Amino acid sequence: MKLTAEDLKKISFFEGYTDKQLNTLTRISTIREFKVKEILFEQYDVLSEAAVLFEGKLSLGISLAKEKRIHLGTVEEGQLFSWSAVFSPHISTAWVMAITPAKVISINAEELNKEFVMDCDFGFKTMSKIAQTLSHRLSDTRFQLMNQLNI
Amino acid sequence: MQYKSIKKEEWDNTLENLLLSYAIFAGIPNDASQDYEELRAVDIPKIIYNKPKPATSLKSFFLPVKENVTSENVVKERIIIGIPNCDIEALSILDEIYLDEDFPDINYRERRNNTILISTDCIGIQEHCHCLTYDIMPFSTNTADLAVIFLNGTMILRIITGKGEGFLSTVFPAAIALEDEDILSVIEKEHHATETLLSSANKGLPDYKKTGNLVSGANADMWKRHSARCVSCGACTTICPTCTCFLLIDKPGFEKVKQMDACQYPGFERVAGGGDGLFELPNRFRNRYMCKYVWKPGKFRSTACTGCGRCIEACIGKINKNEIFMELAK
Amino acid sequence: MVNGRNIYKPIMASLTDVIDESPLIKTFVLVPENGFSFKTGQFIELSVDGIGEAPFTPSSSPLITEKLEVTVMKTGYVTECMHKLKPGVFMGIRGPFGRGYPIESFYGKEVLILGGGCGLAPIRSLLYALEGIKDKLIKVTLCYGSKTPADCIYKPLFDRLNKTEKFEAFRTVDKADEGWDGSVGVVTTLLNRIKYDITKSIAVVCGPPIMMKFGTIRLLEMGYKDEQIYLSMEKNMSCGLGKCGHCMMGEFFVCKDGPVFTYNELKNTPDIWK
Repeated sequence: MKLTAEDLKKISFFEGYTDKQLNTLTRISTIREFKVKEILFEQYDVLSEAAVLFEGKLSLGISLAKEKRIHLGTVEEGQLFSWSAVFSPHISTAWVMAITPAKVISINAEELNKEFVMDCDFGFKTMSKIAQTLSHRLSDTRFQLMNQLNI
Repeated sequence: MQYKSIKKEEWDNTLENLLLSYAIFAGIPNDASQDYEELRAVDIPKIIYNKPKPATSLKSFFLPVKENVTSENVVKERIIIGIPNCDIEALSILDEIYLDEDFPDINYRERRNNTILISTDCIGIQEHCHCLTYDIMPFSTNTADLAVIFLNGTMILRIITGKGEGFLSTVFPAAIALEDEDILSVIEKEHHATETLLSSANKGLPDYKKTGNLVSGANADMWKRHSARCVSCGACTTICPTCTCFLLIDKPGFEKVKQMDACQYPGFERVAGGGDGLFELPNRFRNRYMCKYVWKPGKFRSTACTGCGRCIEACIGKINKNEIFMELAK
Repeated sequence: MVNGRNIYKPIMASLTDVIDESPLIKTFVLVPENGFSFKTGQFIELSVDGIGEAPFTPSSSPLITEKLEVTVMKTGYVTECMHKLKPGVFMGIRGPFGRGYPIESFYGKEVLILGGGCGLAPIRSLLYALEGIKDKLIKVTLCYGSKTPADCIYKPLFDRLNKTEKFEAFRTVDKADEGWDGSVGVVTTLLNRIKYDITKSIAVVCGPPIMMKFGTIRLLEMGYKDEQIYLSMEKNMSCGLGKCGHCMMGEFFVCKDGPVFTYNELKNTPDIWK
């Protein structure tokens, strides 16, 4: 499937980008498809692509030991994941697995960083969106902690 | 206010006759000091006037320690004599709780309606009396039906409510209007003397509102220190004229028994899932003070502490709330 | 002779059905002797003859007066005795008590409901009430979380709501099991994906205290004002009518001033989440 700027406009994550910036994104992105139970990447993998879930549902978690996966969260449609690819050390903090058939917009992180230098506005917008995603994740993780510790 | 007077002999004789149609309770001497007893004819001369105060308050007259609230409770007409004003004022918050518009407690209402309240002015004070600090006078001018002062062989009666006036004129027709300014002046002097004693004995004790602020702001260490001698016996809440928390217990036939309870007893706030906000003793100890001086004032018009001082006398750990407040006020 | 209604005396209700919702949760279907009405969010004191009484918010529609449903989790002595009851016995009902949800003030609003665990029981009653006035609402969104998939009661409710005009419902679990292909994470994670207009929205939170605590925090982070957040508080209760003192939370009697409060009313009261 060829990604277009119109496809990206339907996803709230990409709100606020100019048409030129959306076209840049389509140029440096690919749609990848995953089957149920397929692992997109493991915890500690070095990542080269940031991703936004286009269709389906992914589970996300950590591994305590080989094969022992702790399922801690879910990536829903329109949400960013694999953001570790964008900045050093590019190492994933979690594993991600498809729990339904999934389509993912994979964005080449190296190309993304080059574009940040060329278009600072694009860089600022993108990093703001990443920061917002992390802020929500942090909030959710804090609440998980409160829930478990009952504090 | 209107006053009447009657010779003591006539007063006592009339009371004796009233025993046929009323249960009469009054403060009479006991081994310790005085307490309410249901009178027989021989007890009438022993009634204590003007002297604070019965060991127990009015609470159990209106809120029995244990009662079946789903069965018919017949309440005999009764008269209670010799009530200090601190106990009269305590009825105000009981009335607010139990006679509210939405859910009036009919047993309480019946008892209130069937009781003539005759308070007595306090001439002199007991060790821990501090009503005045909380703006409560040592003599009644409302809520009680009548107030009585025994002066020079004569019973002086202050008429407070319409019910009291009706009772007096029906039952004590021999009582005559009192307009003697000299006698009224003596009574006023006695009031001032008592107030002076109260002020002197309670110098530095913060008033009700200030106490609320101090209690609100007290730190955890303070509560831990002062609760060290507390054993959660609940003597303070049992003896307190305004503490009325209770438990409803189910009996067969969907009957309910209402039994006095207290936040001082462990488990008061425990929920089925196991959580208990008052599990720790310092929290439980603090709860009573917060309830009395901070929360109830936020909720009710009436005062939740009338300064009777009975909690100080009753505490087996010798915890004195006024000493705590004076320390906080420093 | 004592005149007037006795506030401590229950009315009788016939237990006509017991529905198993989960290993620990049952719904009791009761037919009160004289018809019974309540506002959604109010509660009743339900008693087992000679055993005890406990407060419950009915989980049925307030528009139905011939019967009511009460969902009971087996947690302590009284609820354990309740779980042993079979249809045909009588139970006692006192109430309804308390201040329910002010649904008239939800007119013209988006209603966001954040629910957890057994909080779905009173929420179901609220949803029925909101269905009755849905023409006056913009939309209703339910975000619900349970500990595990098995802990979710009223499972068919979610599909039904998603097929109802103006309603949408999302579920998550704290801990997934083998067959679970839904969302994982605390209930607030569902809020990341909903669209809302903060100027026209109100939020209702109902569930275990810890969930209500972080749910409220999250809603405040999202921009909800204190007076836009409605909480259903729980405390140990005995009389249910503002006298016995057991449910006091600061200056409030949860049974009389609540159980529904706005966060604005409670924000200065300490220890509300214990």
